[in-house]
Amino acid sequence: MRRRLVVWLMVAVGFGLQAVTYLFLATPIGRPTDDSFSNPRIPFAPVLFILGVVLVFLAAVVYEVLPEEKHHDR
Amino acid sequence: MAARLERLPFGVGQAPGRWKLWIAVLTAIAILGWYGWYLEISRGMIVTGLRDIGPMGGATWGMDVSFIVYFVGVSFAGITVAALVRLAEVKALRPIARMAEVLTVVALVLAAFAIMYDLGHPLRGIVNLFKYARPQSPFFGTFTLVISGYLFASLVYLYLGGRADAARCAEVPSRLQGFYRLWAAGYRDTPAALERHNRASFWLAIAIVPLLVVAHSTLGFVFGLQVGRPGWYSALQAPSFVLLAGVSGIGMLILVAAVVRRTVPGSDRLNEVVFRWLGNALMILLLAYLYFMVVELLTSIYTGAERERAVTEALLGGRYAPVYWSAVALLVIPLSLLLMRYFRRATGLATLVASGVMVNLSAMAKRFLIVVPSQTHGTLLPYQAGSYAPTWVEWAEMAGLIAFGALLLAVFAKLFPIMPVEGGES
Repeated sequence: MRRRLVVWLMVAVGFGLQAVTYLFLATPIGRPTDDSFSNPRIPFAPVLFILGVVLVFLAAVVYEVLPEEKHHDR
Repeated sequence: MAARLERLPFGVGQAPGRWKLWIAVLTAIAILGWYGWYLEISRGMIVTGLRDIGPMGGATWGMDVSFIVYFVGVSFAGITVAALVRLAEVKALRPIARMAEVLTVVALVLAAFAIMYDLGHPLRGIVNLFKYARPQSPFFGTFTLVISGYLFASLVYLYLGGRADAARCAEVPSRLQGFYRLWAAGYRDTPAALERHNRASFWLAIAIVPLLVVAHSTLGFVFGLQVGRPGWYSALQAPSFVLLAGVSGIGMLILVAAVVRRTVPGSDRLNEVVFRWLGNALMILLLAYLYFMVVELLTSIYTGAERERAVTEALLGGRYAPVYWSAVALLVIPLSLLLMRYFRRATGLATLVASGVMVNLSAMAKRFLIVVPSQTHGTLLPYQAGSYAPTWVEWAEMAGLIAFGALLLAVFAKLFPIMPVEGGES
């Protein structure tokens, strides 16, 4: 149960991070009207987006590698 | 429960003299390529044939960028085949699933190297990418989805798919036992573990398929969305990239599978059925790609604007004609061979291998023709037509990368079963 929770949490946080970075942390979307459209709203926002992608796929490793809790094996 | 192995399968852990010689040759070529990169970093881009577009009559993207696109294209086949095996349950392709996954990983690593070669200041490029990149840009999509996301997903797929075999190899006393234990990470060959693996890899495959289509399309958009660049700006650019990626990737997979069948002991499962699947897939993709080529050509010569036509004329009868027509021939000849093979139900492996070689040479040429002529002949400003000829440094870099890729594949085949172990696969 705990393993599944961790996996779903990783998937949710991964996709969430991608969405939040894309929409709110990276360079603003839209027709550029001033300098603020040239830079991300927080430095290294692209790294957060990549982290989100990595986190989603890492969830598969956690799902397979993390051992089951003991009462499941019985 | 799968039978216990008595020794490591497929010649893993053994290094015959011929293999060592092969490794030495590949290492020498790879070092020559890295020497070329060293020259590029220490003396600047002047050692390459790259020059500014327009006033200097050159191209700023040349061999490096052509090969980035080529390598990313080759990576397409691997993970597609692996996903097909899982999602469509194409059991015939199971023996090549792992080598396809390794091919994907290796091709993406080579693409990352080619990107580094193209940057005058690689370190600055990486830092600035992470610091300032715009996620809305196709360039960023190429870096995040192709290089990081796609590569990471492929590594995860390869790692999880290999755990069962790693666990079986870890039972065999060898110098690689520790490595296999690490890879297996406590895997036990139980129905519960198998079910968990099947579920995880199914969802992983589901996630990877759209990712790879988006990733390859994004690479096409890098060119296809440039409105001021005749020859690039086209709605067909992204789907053409995906198709040519399939052609070169399946062609390369045929070559790798043929080499494995010839050199790896116990690879009998790479039989006629496997190669027929690959041959048919290549034939269909070739047909579709040639259709796209004809449509694109007709559009640009029938109603194309002046500069659009200038690029097409340079391809059809100008400076790039020898490369263009060679590329076309290297697509048409294999298609004819594959069609004959299909209708006669012939079984010759040589035809397939020849087709694999030809389509890959053609894909390299086509990537070059996509990247370069638009820069030398497609500028909208009133400049004279330019030219670009790669120097020996660029040739050495690319030969070095191809050798490095072959080296990685050869070493992997001696460290880990290149095919799923019979009886141990899920």
